[in-house]
Amino acid sequence: MLQRIWALPTGKIAFTILGLVLFLAVFGPWIAPQDPLAANPETLTGPSWQHWLGTDYLGRDVLSRLLDGSRTSIIGSLQVALMAMAVGVLPGILSVYLGRVFEWTALRLVDTLISLPFLVFAVAVTALLGNGITQAMLTVGVLVSPLFFRVSRAATLTVARSQYVEAALISGASFGQVVRRHVWAKVLPPIGIALAQTIGVGFVVVSSLTFLGVGVQPPAPTWGGLLASDLGYLDYQPWAPVVPALLIMGTVWGCNLMADALRDVSGRPVVERAR
Amino acid sequence: MAVSTVSPVTAPAVPQARTADAAVRAQRVIGRILVVIAQSVAIFVPVFLVATFVTFALRSISGLSPARMQLGEQATPEAIARIEEQWGLDRPFLAQYWTWLSDMLRGNLGNSWSNGAGVADLIGMGIGISLSVAALALVIGITLGFAFGALAALRPQTWIDRTITAVMTVFSVMPAFVVGIVLVTVFAVGLGWFPASGYVPLELGLWPWLSHILLPALALSLDVVADVARQLRSGLIAAYRENYVIGAAVRGLSPRRIFLRHVLRNGIGPTLAVLGLKFPALIGGAVVTEWIFGLQGFGRFANDSAQAGDVPAVQGVLVVSIVLVVVFNLIVNIVLGRLTPASQRGV
Repeated sequence: MLQRIWALPTGKIAFTILGLVLFLAVFGPWIAPQDPLAANPETLTGPSWQHWLGTDYLGRDVLSRLLDGSRTSIIGSLQVALMAMAVGVLPGILSVYLGRVFEWTALRLVDTLISLPFLVFAVAVTALLGNGITQAMLTVGVLVSPLFFRVSRAATLTVARSQYVEAALISGASFGQVVRRHVWAKVLPPIGIALAQTIGVGFVVVSSLTFLGVGVQPPAPTWGGLLASDLGYLDYQPWAPVVPALLIMGTVWGCNLMADALRDVSGRPVVERAR
Repeated sequence: MAVSTVSPVTAPAVPQARTADAAVRAQRVIGRILVVIAQSVAIFVPVFLVATFVTFALRSISGLSPARMQLGEQATPEAIARIEEQWGLDRPFLAQYWTWLSDMLRGNLGNSWSNGAGVADLIGMGIGISLSVAALALVIGITLGFAFGALAALRPQTWIDRTITAVMTVFSVMPAFVVGIVLVTVFAVGLGWFPASGYVPLELGLWPWLSHILLPALALSLDVVADVARQLRSGLIAAYRENYVIGAAVRGLSPRRIFLRHVLRNGIGPTLAVLGLKFPALIGGAVVTEWIFGLQGFGRFANDSAQAGDVPAVQGVLVVSIVLVVVFNLIVNIVLGRLTPASQRGV
């Protein structure tokens, strides 16, 4: 599977970007050249050998702050995606099997959840339930879980109505066996795609929250927070928002590309085999 | 289906029959709209109750109290108890919920903890700004999205299509606050064409109003542009592959007529469905763009009251945003049902 994704040009770019981002998340705080919180008298300087990306309004090293702040955003977006998957997948599969009442209720609930403005909810929940963005990420996870519900339901529907599942049931396979052998095989690829997409969505949400300063304590660096503080000094450093903005956009792009690549490798061979 | 349209029996020859026919059809249209509204209400009521209950429970879960806000950290327990009694917070939870809910249905969202003003009034002051921005963003998003999507679909696999697809990819990965910062940097700070912040009501002139909301609307709209363009492109390309398009071409209909009457009408469904999902994103995005552009709107109010721990204000914000989204979805559903009856048969 991974090899097939790597074989695509989009897959290569996606792997490279996401690998780099993951590397930053794990090792970023360690490879930061300077203390991300240490202020010094040279404020708002341009790039130099000592400060590759210049310094901010308190004279803190921007590169170190970017590296140190990478972890918060990435962990947050993973929390969103995993929560959404945990909440959405099983009801999606079960909605095909558990009868019409459950199906109707689940579908209506999903319609509602998907239509709630999750950024407003995220801000509200984070601010009211105290510090840390974990609660907000889990809330957003629940709110975007309909994506997982829909893809797993759609995939299950195609399996449930196929003849080979009927054949398996007639030949005495139990419900559990059918789910394990046939349903999962059809459901996993779209879930992978949805996972890549929700990580991207989660990333935008975390960046937006940290941009607003919700859920993080002030001196702690975050990508969104860096953008927000740059905004106050546009007159002196109009180029300053470029790097954090590119990092955020690049990560989202990497997630979208990964979703595209997954869709390509999971879609095509099936069609070819069908012919 | 194709057989019934050529059957000569159904063709009404008498004018009276035709008007009767039109009346029946109008009745059916109204009936369908009523069904959509009834369905939406049936879904809306239980969901609204659950959502508002969760919203209301936020106060208990958060453990926040107006006393802390007014008296500070050094308050005595007696003083806290007195203030909580004033706000009715010493009553049983369900009784509080009932009061809040019945007040809310009458349009009273309670009073802000920070200044005692009515939450409904506070939200009302800013909502005009947010709706102006959201509406303009929708207009920009739909116009540009339709133009790009249709252009790409009419010239598939050419450099036009590829350029549009590439630009849409860039648009779709740009979060609203990044676009907002870029726009402020370039057009407000750099070129000085637009004001960097603030708002002027429409009564003071069209251009002052437009110049203040254009950049925030543009920041919010790029995501809509990208989604509408991509959905429309794939919808139209799929519709062009249908046999009825070949049939129409064989019958000698002009390309313009084929596009407008057959392709557009059948290929537009997914785009409208996506549009229904975009509205909540616009409301959510308002939280960020209003911060960047210094607009005192709904989103800014949501952010400020959340950060201040002003629970009644946050609850009001959530309720209003739920209502806004539901109303918008209702409109989209009715339009969708009129344009593509097939979407009513459900998935």
